[in-house]
Amino acid sequence: MSEGILITGIGVVSSIGIGKDQFCLGLRDGADGISEISEFDTSPFKAKKGGVVKDFNAREFIPISKIRRLDRASQLAIAASRLALEDAKLTISGSNSCEVGIILGSGFCGLANSEAFHRGQVLRGFLEMNPMLFPNTVPNAATGNVSIELGIKGVNSTVVQSYCTAEAAIIMACDLLAEGRAEVILTGGVDELSEILFRAYFALKLLSHDRGDGEMSRPYDLKRNGIVLGEGAAILVLEKEGHALSRGVESYGRILSYSIVGGSDADSPWRDIERAIGLARESMNGERKIDYISGAGNSSKRVDEMEARGIKGAFPSDYCALPISSIKSMIGESIASGGMRMAANAIILEEGFIFPTIHYQTPDPHCDLNYVVNKSVEREVKTILHNGISPDGTFASILLGR
Amino acid sequence: MSNQKIRRVVITGLGVFTAIGKNTPQFRRSLEGGRVGIDEVTLFDVSKYPSKIAAQIRDYDSSDYFDRIELRRLSRTDQFALIASTEAVRDAGIEVNGKTHREIGVYLGAGAGGMFSAEQYHRHLLLKGRGKPRPSLLLPFLPSYSTDAVSRRFCLCGPKGTITTACSSSATSIGYGADLIKRGNAEVVICGGSDAMSELTFGGFNALRVVDTAPCKPFDARRMGMTLGEGAGILVLEELNRALARGATIYAEFLGYSTVGEAYHMTAPEASGAEQSRTMTEAMRAAHITHREVDYINAHGTGTPINDKVETLAIKAAFGERAYSVPVSSIKSMVGHCLGSAGAIEAVASVLSIVHGFIPPTANYRDRDETCDLDYVPNRSRRQRVGTVLSNSFAFGGNCTTIVLRSYE
Repeated sequence: MSEGILITGIGVVSSIGIGKDQFCLGLRDGADGISEISEFDTSPFKAKKGGVVKDFNAREFIPISKIRRLDRASQLAIAASRLALEDAKLTISGSNSCEVGIILGSGFCGLANSEAFHRGQVLRGFLEMNPMLFPNTVPNAATGNVSIELGIKGVNSTVVQSYCTAEAAIIMACDLLAEGRAEVILTGGVDELSEILFRAYFALKLLSHDRGDGEMSRPYDLKRNGIVLGEGAAILVLEKEGHALSRGVESYGRILSYSIVGGSDADSPWRDIERAIGLARESMNGERKIDYISGAGNSSKRVDEMEARGIKGAFPSDYCALPISSIKSMIGESIASGGMRMAANAIILEEGFIFPTIHYQTPDPHCDLNYVVNKSVEREVKTILHNGISPDGTFASILLGR
Repeated sequence: MSNQKIRRVVITGLGVFTAIGKNTPQFRRSLEGGRVGIDEVTLFDVSKYPSKIAAQIRDYDSSDYFDRIELRRLSRTDQFALIASTEAVRDAGIEVNGKTHREIGVYLGAGAGGMFSAEQYHRHLLLKGRGKPRPSLLLPFLPSYSTDAVSRRFCLCGPKGTITTACSSSATSIGYGADLIKRGNAEVVICGGSDAMSELTFGGFNALRVVDTAPCKPFDARRMGMTLGEGAGILVLEELNRALARGATIYAEFLGYSTVGEAYHMTAPEASGAEQSRTMTEAMRAAHITHREVDYINAHGTGTPINDKVETLAIKAAFGERAYSVPVSSIKSMVGHCLGSAGAIEAVASVLSIVHGFIPPTANYRDRDETCDLDYVPNRSRRQRVGTVLSNSFAFGGNCTTIVLRSYE
């Protein structure tokens, strides 16, 4: 890449902590953000658990008069964006608003709001539909609302690409920074967990449920039996190196290179994981030893296995020495969970520890990488490989380092 | 990539599927003839809504294009995306016989995605219909499903993504697609978008009271609102030297774009037009042109009282006195507002205007409005050489995108 892109701030609203410090503690302790869902009735389903952000109080971030007009995803995104700007020590004003952009990844965005709107439409008819709910049914509601709330007037986009949604957003942000379309871009992912989403995932047989071994998110474990849904927002402040230097702000590290590709081989998708990793490594300036792999493992049979084969293919001789762990064991899975993973990567670079994959008990012969399990490990990490894996055929790799 | 010489991006393939044309030649004839594709909605029951019309795609039998098994997993949006992509990919002469194309990416813009299918599932649940609703109706709900379907169908394995910025989605996908080629991340990118009608969207715009009960009349004093539409528009963007080397037909050059946020309001445009004007000005700067070089402005022109007034103000701010001598038209008067695919369908129309030397009209136009006093090319297309076109797309969330296209000589 021609000019450096630095991560100068992170903002996290997650089920294991709100704000950088709590999130960092949660990672270090291997906290479990997943619990029985009380926000809606799960009795029609065999699955009962989710990674709901329980302690979120929108009033701490958004004026009360505006809250009721915002869907949950927008609220989470506004809160995370405020935290990220604060962390980056960046103030948006009339003089810089056009050089700050925002590109968020979100799959279903404010789906509960859309469901309520459609429910009214079906059950009560046109005359009693609530027009206030309609504007936030668009997938870019969260991005739009953050830009309005924070006064961000530069490049503005929302991206979705199955389970590589946040990666696709972050990569677009890097491309647009490199093209000189902005000096700073807020990017990352936001997802809300709603009853309708839970219902849909259950109907599609994607959720873990208790079949004797418990309902939990346990990536790489032999007894894993599906994903647990999570939610939250994670925003990174990406900034051109020159801009960050000129305002004298420290950074977590830099984005070294990246790639995102479409699947070419449905029968052996791990070859495309290898290809994505290869492309990212090729375009990195200079050889760098990878110290840690941010795992995409989401507790589904398929993704965890695919990831292991892809990484073994990309690092045939030294995969045993590469530590890897998945944050999804703590917060669950969601379409834009890559944002949360990238925020965790920034913490690892700064703090020098590797958080664990929790709930790990029984090794799976098909998942035989160097998993860091159940307890975090103190270790200096200079370079991280982050892979995004979508079983629908999208594969992303991002290399970041100090 | 810093010391590489500048890579230019050209358009070498077009595909379109709309209410006024199910392929590019049909679509062009309709634009030239000022044909309006707006009629009564038959896709779902509209009896309870104030407006009962849209530019719905008629005489469409999905089994003419897809087999039964495929159709179980494809939403109406995915189907349109695949049909238009097939035309565009063939038009560009890309091999589609199973060859893997690692140098070709896919970036589509999307709107409601598989909403029309998901609605059927949800309605079944709410009204406690007989038996269980079919879960596969939910599969295509995520808007990236169409992008995946296109990438898979033609084995396009380069960079991939889906832009979801409501009504500017597909315009932004074209701009970003061009960036990917300029940066060397891909040699070819399939861009554009697809969006099918859904009852949620139809009811939503009705509930906001921004739809006209008669076909929309952009820039007309009698305008009462928009008319929804549906369809797909696909453009094949390609690096110039690659296109030249393989002797491809070059329709136009993609010169540049701008995409910004208004940071003003979720649904209303900033009233002075300053933000939309900034978008157009920045797009012209990115394209290295001045407003004097623009021969045609393909307007966003939705037909709502406020939108058309603000867009007119913005054009005047960006173009000064010249605003009065540049033709401005809105093809939404013919194809309706296709939301997630609007920008792409309008980009295809813009390319056709360059290639065939005509300006598509603003149909349904009768009465001049004091606040909309530009040359809107009323009702009849105009034969004219078109060198450079600027196409606007403005969206919910304050997303504004302007793209600039030019004839390739």
